[in-house]
Amino acid sequence: MNDTHEVISAFLDDEPFDAGELARTLSDPSGRALLIDLIALRHVVQPEAMVAPSRPEGRSPWRPLLAAAAMVVALVGGYFIGDARNAIDRAEPPAPSRVVQANDWQALPVGGGR
Amino acid sequence: MTDVEALYTANHDRLFRYFCRAVGHIDDARELTQDVFVRVSRSAIPTGPEGARRGWLFQIARNLALDYRRSRHRRPHLEALTDHPLRPASQDTSAQVNEALAALSDLERDVFLMREVAGLGYDDIASACGLTADAVRNRIHRTRLQLRLLLSGEIAARRAAPMRRTGRDL
Repeated sequence: MNDTHEVISAFLDDEPFDAGELARTLSDPSGRALLIDLIALRHVVQPEAMVAPSRPEGRSPWRPLLAAAAMVVALVGGYFIGDARNAIDRAEPPAPSRVVQANDWQALPVGGGR
Repeated sequence: MTDVEALYTANHDRLFRYFCRAVGHIDDARELTQDVFVRVSRSAIPTGPEGARRGWLFQIARNLALDYRRSRHRRPHLEALTDHPLRPASQDTSAQVNEALAALSDLERDVFLMREVAGLGYDDIASACGLTADAVRNRIHRTRLQLRLLLSGEIAARRAAPMRRTGRDL
């Protein structure tokens, strides 16, 4: 590798460079490999991996989907339960099986008649 | 908007990114970024083009990073990244990067980070580090070659994935 490869850095950095020199450098396989490696290096050193919160280990990526599914089940289940209760409320009351006559209720002794 | 606010808006992210790699620890990077603006608020902000002001700002940042390294008397610390034995692969790579950066001299590391992570131009870096633009160009290239060797495994792995020239799509 020779010093002319420095032109690759200037090219990558949007700094002024000699186009002829860059062309000569990129005609060499080692120059082309260096260009790709330096682009990859640029990606590797970015601090995003440090800054971005990582997903805790052991937590399934399906977790949000499962939570959404549970919510749908709860809503649909709640609807059907509510509907069933309405149906019960609308039903006729049961016919009386026994009728209690209360004709003598006023004759009970004062203070309770146990 | 005051001068300090304008500087903050335009450079806060750049400074934070620089400090993240310069000191290797996110919480300290946040504090140091704030420290820069505390100092700026107590100083007379130089007049002139945006690049010159940015160079001045990063000169302050560089001094803070150097003070930090001296006071801690250690390399960019890795404990935050090594606490978790099952950490994701991206954090493994990050730890390798911090280790490789720690192997560089202070000047090489700062010149490289100002360009590659903070996105400064050669003139701004020259102003921040007291070098000529040609010296910056030369140092950045040499540092890249050095890191290419130190991070060959990470680079090979990254080559397999789609890339952009800017490298800011991570």
